[in-house]
Amino acid sequence: MSTPLGPAVPSGPLYLDGVREDIVAPATGARTALGTDPFETVVTIDPFLERLDSLHGGGVVPRRSRRERPEPHEPPIEAPPPVTRLREATAPPKRARRAWATTPRLGEVELDAADGMLERLIGEGERRRLAAVGHLVDGDAPYDRYGLSPGTLRAAFPFFHALYRFYFRVKSHGHEHLPAEGPAILAANHGGLLPFDGAMGILDVLLHTDPPRLARAIVDRWAGRLPWVNVFYARVGQVVGTRENFSDLLEDGQLVLVFPEGVEGIRKPVTQRYRLQRFHVGFVEQSLRSGAPIVPMAFLGTDDQAPILFDVKPLARRLGLPAFPITPTFPWLGPLGLLPYPVSYRIVYGEPLTFHERFGPEGADDARLVRYLANQVRRTVQLLVDRHR
Amino acid sequence: MTNVLITHADEPLGLRVVKTLFPDPRVERIVAAGAGPAPRAFDRFLAGSPPRMSYLRVDLAKHRPVADLFHSAHFREAEIDTVVHVPSHGPGAGAPARRSVMPLVSGVPPRTAEARLVLQHALDARSVDSLVVIGSAFVYRLAPGNANRVSEESELNLDPDLPGEIRSWIDCDMIFHAEVGSDRARVVLLRVPTVVASGGFVYLNPALAGPGGPRVRPLGFDPLCAVVADKDVALAVQAAVHGKTSGVYNVAGAEHLPLSVLGRWTRRPTVPVPASVLRAAAFAARVLRQPELRSSVEGPHLRYGFTLDTRRVQRDLGFRPTHRVGLGRAGDGRLQLETSPA
Repeated sequence: MSTPLGPAVPSGPLYLDGVREDIVAPATGARTALGTDPFETVVTIDPFLERLDSLHGGGVVPRRSRRERPEPHEPPIEAPPPVTRLREATAPPKRARRAWATTPRLGEVELDAADGMLERLIGEGERRRLAAVGHLVDGDAPYDRYGLSPGTLRAAFPFFHALYRFYFRVKSHGHEHLPAEGPAILAANHGGLLPFDGAMGILDVLLHTDPPRLARAIVDRWAGRLPWVNVFYARVGQVVGTRENFSDLLEDGQLVLVFPEGVEGIRKPVTQRYRLQRFHVGFVEQSLRSGAPIVPMAFLGTDDQAPILFDVKPLARRLGLPAFPITPTFPWLGPLGLLPYPVSYRIVYGEPLTFHERFGPEGADDARLVRYLANQVRRTVQLLVDRHR
Repeated sequence: MTNVLITHADEPLGLRVVKTLFPDPRVERIVAAGAGPAPRAFDRFLAGSPPRMSYLRVDLAKHRPVADLFHSAHFREAEIDTVVHVPSHGPGAGAPARRSVMPLVSGVPPRTAEARLVLQHALDARSVDSLVVIGSAFVYRLAPGNANRVSEESELNLDPDLPGEIRSWIDCDMIFHAEVGSDRARVVLLRVPTVVASGGFVYLNPALAGPGGPRVRPLGFDPLCAVVADKDVALAVQAAVHGKTSGVYNVAGAEHLPLSVLGRWTRRPTVPVPASVLRAAAFAARVLRQPELRSSVEGPHLRYGFTLDTRRVQRDLGFRPTHRVGLGRAGDGRLQLETSPA
């Protein structure tokens, strides 16, 4: 059987909850193509969904522990009531559509005269976009509730814009998949030691949306402990990844950029380049709860900007760092060795995945379902990476 | 009609609560209690025949005076049905006290002792059916980061090594939180962040509270602080007094300011100091048993900021902040923090 997202899968055991998992191990000594995970857990979507439909008429399977699984001689389990009815009973009361934090369209932005040196460095179009993003801060307050400062954003923009145009020479496509308004989660692959992919992604979204949207990247808690870095991240709109922060951003209708691989993505060795690591699942939970679509996003070029030969984990642990990489330039050139090579970036946006429409907010309570959906997102991003490499 | 007892009415927040509740037509009588003499601002409230308000000097950290207050003729005649407890936020209120013979208040900071005594007597008093308490929002466990969104369900910081000032707020919070579901009285706990008032006054912030002057903060950290105007705190108390629900509510204003900006606006400039120096100072304060010094150089509030999710208080109590916080020019020409109606 061929699946919409993956290759054909050999027949195997179909578990009670409908998820068929087959571990495809590589043959001894066989080489695998870059970009494919030899130990990937292949999960077929069709039998799972068929099973769901047969049980519930299209809905969520209640979790059952192994102990609760019936023996073969037991009579078949009764199907629970259709999920449509369950949803009606448990659905929260309908409420008026929330006023999302939005920015005006480019044509509606009133632009002041360029009086500062920084403002003269960038074009009118970019200035217009930055002015529009300033509307995210309520009223006359200088900061929003996550510490975003439009002034700092304006000051940092020329530097990152120069990196975007001249250093990384970013090319991107698939912008039509970015929603013009409302909450959405951008799920991307991560790589390259220093998170320039996040900065370039945010800039790309800002430069290719109308009304301009500022993606709020979820950063690792480790970054929140770093002096200066934590302040800079907050001032340019990045947010530490706590549940409350994440759900509040989505509730506010913002675009949230996540790297579900976490630090595993940036510290993977060069032999693993463009192979996505295991995804964390929190973003799927948040997507289901908030009804935000997941837009898969692929970064190409990031894994070549700082090829890691080894990660000296004991030393990293000793120093309290997420990784201590050995690259062709680090630690031989000191901190300068951490700077990325001038590789060319490509950013590709995929079609939004609307799991929330099928599984609803109650699906977020099913750990197996959430893990399964996170794997599906991972496969989708991996496909984007493989197709455009 | 409601008859209200307000504790610590002689401190700025208590004073503001009295000023807000006195003109409220739904409040019939007010009994104000405080440790010091009646503030001069109360002169016009205490006048009139019969007066709608009376003021009593009570040391709320001691068992006998509190018992006397709740059994006094003033309390009985006023038929108090609502107690508004405004914990002391003066310097030293969170520092451990010398040992007392009373087990209920033995060796605990005055603020915690007051919370225990007020709760015990309010629940024992037959006429009291509502207890409204102002607590601090600095009770939450903060994740590393410049700003964290916290809701009422967020985890409290139960780290035993916390500075005494924050520790006492957490103790008070837990004391009242335990009675939120009580059948004996409706308990409303309002968690407020840094409270600011016109003129550059600031309360409840462990780093900035107290007299003006420079403060320290770790180099490279500038946490975002949620702020609320003192008038909005009083309005939230008013909404809670007339509300029908019990529970824990976050109360905050619309503005958020980094600690450095807030310090500058309130004439308490923060000086960035290397973390290693602060660690040494905290160690010295611990050895020398100087809890106030330790509070001012150590604690998560100096590194990590937070803002509050206030949807619950908007939904249940109908409270929305009505005052904006900004910079105004004082009479002498200096810029300072001001609050004004939105």
